[in-house]
Amino acid sequence: MDITSHIEAGLATLTLDGRLDFATSRVLEKAAADILDGGTHRILIDMAAVPYVSSAGLRAILVAAKAAQATGGGIAIHGLQPMVADVFITSGFGQIVILAETGAEARDRLLAGKAA
Amino acid sequence: MRHLTLADEIVVLMLDDSVGELKPAVMPVANVAIMGGVLMELSLMGRLDSDLQALFAVDTTPTGDSLLDDVLSQIATSTVPHPSTWWIETLSRNRAELPEQILERLATAGILRREDRRFLWFFSTRAYPPVSGQEEQEALARLTEVLFNNQTPAPRDTLLLGLAAATGALEKILSDHAMAQAAPRIADIVRLEEIGRAVSTVAGLIWDTQGPATIIA
Repeated sequence: MDITSHIEAGLATLTLDGRLDFATSRVLEKAAADILDGGTHRILIDMAAVPYVSSAGLRAILVAAKAAQATGGGIAIHGLQPMVADVFITSGFGQIVILAETGAEARDRLLAGKAA
Repeated sequence: MRHLTLADEIVVLMLDDSVGELKPAVMPVANVAIMGGVLMELSLMGRLDSDLQALFAVDTTPTGDSLLDDVLSQIATSTVPHPSTWWIETLSRNRAELPEQILERLATAGILRREDRRFLWFFSTRAYPPVSGQEEQEALARLTEVLFNNQTPAPRDTLLLGLAAATGALEKILSDHAMAQAAPRIADIVRLEEIGRAVSTVAGLIWDTQGPATIIA
């Protein structure tokens, strides 16, 4: 999986490309931890190029969301492919992170601090 | 204190401390909970991963825990993919010795103590009362924290709640009224982890056929 990171005006954007599974979940965990450690507490994740998410991948998001929320921030995710969206919905992850159709909606809700 | 696996912890929670045996009410789902705990622990250790279709091995390096390694080996050598529910049902079936196996290792670790009891001159049983009860209190404190602090739970605590909810062990910290009030949050948390949902599904099928307990999720 490739992850690109961009931080601007207190908002970090992570763009993921590839499968999010056991082999790659730690890369996401570390990327999110680095952002939080650097003092940015709101993370926008673009998952439009992620075709598959396993339990380990979801757990990485859970860990990142817990850490972000502990500092008063949060995580918003957008661009879920249909099969990946099924995984998020089945797992009830809409209660943990903001799930949005578009990047603009995700950004607005994250900056507004609205609960997932 | 020795690190307890989730399988160890759910056995501690299913124990009737006063008699040193698993509560009769939990026996129909005891093996399911233990095997669910084993799969959860292997998942947290990075040996297993799963999705909506299958549970599979991603790292076959032995953990050093014989029970966990036996299960890991079976899953790693399976040539046909199966979902978590199938593995929980299959691995927990015809394993009458499983609770005793966990009780014995908890006694060896000094968490429980062995008490051999004899009745009617020739019948003997072994009971396992807790030594200090500290491990149970610690687990119950974590569950209470998860239920009432309204924050995103850690993965390990999410999984433990799934086991506790499936076995009725939450009655140790929740009255019937409190259980009813907490039910939506319990269900929301249990959903977060695929193996937690699988344990809930398999245990639910057993309770449907063998009689109710106060089970959530």
